[in-house]
Amino acid sequence: MIACQNLTKSYRSGHVRHQVLKGINLTVQRGEKVALLGRNGAGKSTLIKQLGGVELPDRGRIIRKMTNSWPIGFSGGFQGSLTGYDNARFIARIYGSRLDAIKAFVEDFSELGSALRRPVHTYSSGMRARLAFALSLAIEFDCYLIDEVILVGDANFHRKCHTELFDKRRDRAMVIASHDMQIVNEVCDRAVILRDGVAHEFASVEEAIAVYNAL
Amino acid sequence: MPSLRQGWDIQVRVISALMVRELTTRFGRENIGFLWVMAEPLLFAVLVGLLWRMMKGPTDYGVDIVPFVASGYIPLVLFRSAVSRGVKSFTANGSLMYHRQIKVLDLLLVRFLIELIGHMMAYLFIASVLGVLGFFPLPHDVGFLVLGWLYYALFTLSVMLVVAALSELSEAIEKIVPVVTYLMIPFSGAFYIVSALSPAAASVALYSPAVHGMEMMRYGIFGPSIDPHFDYIYPVGFCLPCMALGLVLCRMVRKRLVIE
Repeated sequence: MIACQNLTKSYRSGHVRHQVLKGINLTVQRGEKVALLGRNGAGKSTLIKQLGGVELPDRGRIIRKMTNSWPIGFSGGFQGSLTGYDNARFIARIYGSRLDAIKAFVEDFSELGSALRRPVHTYSSGMRARLAFALSLAIEFDCYLIDEVILVGDANFHRKCHTELFDKRRDRAMVIASHDMQIVNEVCDRAVILRDGVAHEFASVEEAIAVYNAL
Repeated sequence: MPSLRQGWDIQVRVISALMVRELTTRFGRENIGFLWVMAEPLLFAVLVGLLWRMMKGPTDYGVDIVPFVASGYIPLVLFRSAVSRGVKSFTANGSLMYHRQIKVLDLLLVRFLIELIGHMMAYLFIASVLGVLGFFPLPHDVGFLVLGWLYYALFTLSVMLVVAALSELSEAIEKIVPVVTYLMIPFSGAFYIVSALSPAAASVALYSPAVHGMEMMRYGIFGPSIDPHFDYIYPVGFCLPCMALGLVLCRMVRKRLVIE
């Protein structure tokens, strides 16, 4: 289980404080797939960053009773000046995993081939997303935090992500921030709409989608 | 709740992974790699030592001038480069915060350790080369040499923690750091011995914990002839509160850190 209690987060720009999260209460149970819906700027990414421990909330608590991935997205979690392989090595070291297993998985999953020997900052955004996905799936977590990247890449890669994430890891919990209602409908058990800094729960995913579409 | 043992294992793993990462990003894998970290202090120490020798003659304060300058300059360069490596290091490494087992202190510690090891290697190297050539005396007491280094390193680390945090909180601080570390020169004890100062100047110099460390090192190398002045308690009494302040500030900065 991962639970947030009364989470608040604000950002400062100059002297103005912008309150993004105004008291979020959300519990994700083991194996549960929760969709985070909301308009751009509603705080979906912000909430995912707090859940992942990337940023720390102003107030409130996060209780973690299962391991969670870092937020899976375009940029996070790797170093641009290092090569794909160096990044894989780094991830293997800090998570205490076997390097050869991770290397094999990343090679196979990302299909980046010789590009893995080049610095990540030379990658296109699609290539970055492939690497990001490969690295985060190479480590096993109880809960995956997914920030909007499901639809990147070509059809083939899209299919692979789907298989790895939603078939092979169907027993894991996921928090998915997405604007793609098809995925939400297909995969998620619950949907939450972020609006005005508060999380609104709904009885069913369909109901949440209907409300979201009317936003 | 992970046990202490597990925590320690994670800590060791994180530090060593960060160390490798930092070394590869800074020095690459080409040519001499990590040995570059020695290059700057070595060049500084040798060139400044030779300059002083030309200006002031072969000895100063009754000891050989080249080892005197080299032994003072390398710790000073350590202080300056470690503190400036700390500046804005949290923002620069924001992407590492994606991994919850990495703490901001790990970043600083790794940067500090790389500087410390590099400068100590440079020191050892220069002392051995000069020693073989007959310009560097056999240390009078290695224990004091090491102790002096420890005091100097402690001082450097505690200042680095405070400066690294402050540089994230204020642009102005980031800008004045180079000037302030330059002004540290007279308070580093690098270019004089306390016993040669006037009593008034000596009492001012001894407010700086770095001077205590430097006097210990000099005593360790040159022996009682330089009449060292140092205290064991005062530098610790200065550095520990400074370090505590640094830790509090780092915590504050971490809380506010915005990561892309």
